[in-house]
Amino acid sequence: MKTISMRKLIAAIGAAALLSTAAVAIAPSAYAAAPTCSTASDGIETCKGTLSNGAGYLIKVPAKYNGTFFYWNHGIRFTYPLPGVITVPKGVEELTPTSASTGLNIDTEMLRAGYGLATFDRVSPGGIRGWNTVDGVEMLKELIDTVKAKYTVEKGVVYGSSLAGSILTPFIEKYPTYADAVGHMADLTPSPSQSLQSLCDYFYILSVFADPTIKGCAAFGVKGLAGHYAAAAEFGKVVALLTAWGGNLGAPGLEYPAALKGSGIPQRSALLLAGLLIGLPTKSAHMDGITTSVVIAEQSINATVAILENSGEALATGTFAGQAVSEITGPGFYDNTKTNWFSLLDPADSGRYNLGLSGDGAIDAMLGVLSMAPRVTGDAAAVAKFKALDQSKFTSTKPVVLLANEADRLVFSGNSALYVDRARAIYDAKLATYEAARDSAATSAERAAATKLKPVWNVVSLYAMTPETYTKYTAAGLPDFTAPASPSGVGHQSFTKKQMMAWVKILAHAAKTGKVGTPVFLQQYIKTAPYLNSDLDYRPADLKYNW
Amino acid sequence: MNIRASLSRKKLIGLTAVLIAGSMTLAEIPANAADPGVSATEIVLGMQLPETGSASPGYNKVDDAMRAYFDYVNSKGGIGGKKIRLEVKDDTYKAGLTISTASSLINKEKVFAFIGSIGTQTHIAVIKDINRRKIPDVFVNSGFSDFYKPSVYPTSFAALGTYVTEAKILGKYLKEKYPDKKIGVLYQSDDFGRNSLEGFAKAGLTFEAKKTSADFIAGTQGSPGLASQMTQLKANGVEIVIIAAVSSATAVALLTASAIGYKPEKWAVISVGADATTFQTIAGSRGVPAASSAALLTGLITASHAPAPGDTSDEYVAAFKKINDDFNKGADKRFDNNVMQGMNIGYMATGALMGTLNAKSTFSAKNNKTCQANAKKATLTRVCFIDYLNTNGSKVESAAFTPLQYSTTTHEAFSGFWIGAYDAATVLQPISGTRVVYSTDSGNGPVTVSNYKRPAIAADALPKN
Repeated sequence: MKTISMRKLIAAIGAAALLSTAAVAIAPSAYAAAPTCSTASDGIETCKGTLSNGAGYLIKVPAKYNGTFFYWNHGIRFTYPLPGVITVPKGVEELTPTSASTGLNIDTEMLRAGYGLATFDRVSPGGIRGWNTVDGVEMLKELIDTVKAKYTVEKGVVYGSSLAGSILTPFIEKYPTYADAVGHMADLTPSPSQSLQSLCDYFYILSVFADPTIKGCAAFGVKGLAGHYAAAAEFGKVVALLTAWGGNLGAPGLEYPAALKGSGIPQRSALLLAGLLIGLPTKSAHMDGITTSVVIAEQSINATVAILENSGEALATGTFAGQAVSEITGPGFYDNTKTNWFSLLDPADSGRYNLGLSGDGAIDAMLGVLSMAPRVTGDAAAVAKFKALDQSKFTSTKPVVLLANEADRLVFSGNSALYVDRARAIYDAKLATYEAARDSAATSAERAAATKLKPVWNVVSLYAMTPETYTKYTAAGLPDFTAPASPSGVGHQSFTKKQMMAWVKILAHAAKTGKVGTPVFLQQYIKTAPYLNSDLDYRPADLKYNW
Repeated sequence: MNIRASLSRKKLIGLTAVLIAGSMTLAEIPANAADPGVSATEIVLGMQLPETGSASPGYNKVDDAMRAYFDYVNSKGGIGGKKIRLEVKDDTYKAGLTISTASSLINKEKVFAFIGSIGTQTHIAVIKDINRRKIPDVFVNSGFSDFYKPSVYPTSFAALGTYVTEAKILGKYLKEKYPDKKIGVLYQSDDFGRNSLEGFAKAGLTFEAKKTSADFIAGTQGSPGLASQMTQLKANGVEIVIIAAVSSATAVALLTASAIGYKPEKWAVISVGADATTFQTIAGSRGVPAASSAALLTGLITASHAPAPGDTSDEYVAAFKKINDDFNKGADKRFDNNVMQGMNIGYMATGALMGTLNAKSTFSAKNNKTCQANAKKATLTRVCFIDYLNTNGSKVESAAFTPLQYSTTTHEAFSGFWIGAYDAATVLQPISGTRVVYSTDSGNGPVTVSNYKRPAIAADALPKN
């Protein structure tokens, strides 16, 4: 997903009504346009063209091309604009992984390393973007075909960020000969529905505790520009709420629902609970979830401010991503009639953040109120489509290298863990088949046949971590949001150049050898990138949903 | 039939190979390679605790005592020729740091096992991950009963009786001793407090919210303090006040009550919050003279699973005290409950490691051959260490008055406590003059008098597992 600036969004909400209703539209063409190529003085050849549906593509090849091509797949882009906030792409925006927070890319480094680079602007006919993942699979194939028609490709790597995860895995499963390795960066995979369900929960919880007029995901589903602005207007309520909490740090007591009015439970406890129930990171760009000051008196208060800092952009992007999903599923994809709020609170979190949550009594009271609040009943057909958004089966044997931030506020790092779990389940089943065949083999021919069944574990998950502590405070003890953000581990699709290049080099090696590499081999690259976790057995918090 | 004649030479060679392989299997079960943190000369253990910060007083002595015991063991040659090295990380009682320090202990220090970690709220942040990695997490200094269910956390083992067990025993005593008194409770509203209330309820001791029951959020005892809670209990005429909270809260509660002129007939405190020297250290930091804090403590009731540190007639106390004098390099080596606990954990851990490396030990049927083979080769593995604790827990020697309960169905530590009251010298004395150890479980089992006879400590103060 592409992140959205909270500050810009707040400013734009009021301007949304002034928008014209015109949407950007691209007329599809019947055939891919022939690329137009030119070579610069540095020897880099640049080719531009359009795929058969009219979407633009971009290719760059260095003079010392080494035979390996990287095909980049960007995250979500939106069909409709929001002035000052969402700009609809007019063509290719990113050629290689690009940090969303700093804008740094690794075009130069990858070309210098000899890789060929290619990407495309994922836009479907009619200018439709968002969740056009099915089209994305075919567009990626066409891009690779186009590259191969002009260049000799010895090894190919398909890699992408965020929503691209819902393209890459189905792609390699459908077209296994089209790439030799797969790279997932901050990817929303195995399924976007699990993450979006949590973001929809967030809207719902805020509606119960803070603003009953918030409808959140239940309000999504009107197609087209009207639906886009309806979602924006819905989000405006959350903006107002978060702005108020940003000013008073959630100090007032809960006003909603009536059962909790006068209970003395501060709104910040409800905010913290909401964040923990959806799995929002308790570290943010400026808050480390640990350090304290005269104002931030306890670690759980630091974590609460982290959740506040993370909330704006998570909900902003979630709003428009959710609306984009509803364009496919229809209204009513969100249903929480069977949600057990008590089970969503990890015992470790209720213990660790007990003070910020105002103790066990307040936790029980808030969860009790949530359990009794009227639920959102979705549309069965829309819910089914929602859960089936990603068709990944994890049957590919190509090497897969995942890269995620420890505290990604939008696509939680638990996505990577779930990816590994799904791949591991397939691997374990293959292993059991192999072992059964091996154990029952009576002849050398049968033993040889069994050996061929032996699977290879070919997935590795890398994580960029934060420093242990990094919050800066003003002289008054308030968090200093003007201070530099954490150098690593926070934000969505935000990595350092060294982290991105380490990932790329591991992918290139995997493409050549067919294997992700041994731990010793991987550590050689990991140590070149500060804050990249050398603990290959690290596992982040699980997502709240797993279906 | 001539067997030899009927077999071809090729088949005979094959058969011979199978027989040789079979005889090897029977005679020599291959031992495992050692796990991280173990070498031919060393065993590395890791510990997390608040060395600094508001929660550190008292608890920050446990590691020094444990290390002192290990240094003593090392001075005697170690365990199977391996010296024990204790790596300690200060988490300042902040769970965020507990996570990063655990990662450091695992990935940088490469510890074989976690030992003696202190703090329910902090350990809950890492226990799941430690267990996922199958790293032994032994002698945890928390009485939270949920930690010790092997079906959930198979590698975690307690160093304390559970809060439920202790509260059941203490509650039964108070209910029977003071049937006509109004009994109230001050508890921290978290896992510790809730676990304690569960035990009191099992003993038939219940409280009325906002009247005889006062709670606070752990961490707020320093600021804003416990004035409203003490005022509430006073206003409701509570005559016996039970405290289920950490030591710093106990100190604040007693000092606050004193300040507002509230003098309940008795204070009764769950043991982890009742250490005398910790109380007096905290009181001293608030300007209360030692004599005054000692007077506040006098008569306070608490329970203990082990001998009182002031009971110099106890052979374990005497032995541990000498080791403490000779080997403890900590800043405050006064022999108190915390030092006693650290020493006893060192003693139990030494016994468990010795047992795991003893080829005569019996392990579970599943692992017995492999673990015995490992022991023969002085190879220490995590699987065999955990197996030993599961299979031989009750044989692990300890200063406690009841044996460890470890098995494949529970990893709770001690089922027994004796009840005492502090005298004017802040020594815990048996409440009725003679120490009676009561035993129960964390479930609904009855509280009974324990007949367990603790094994004597050896002259060299080393366990004989």
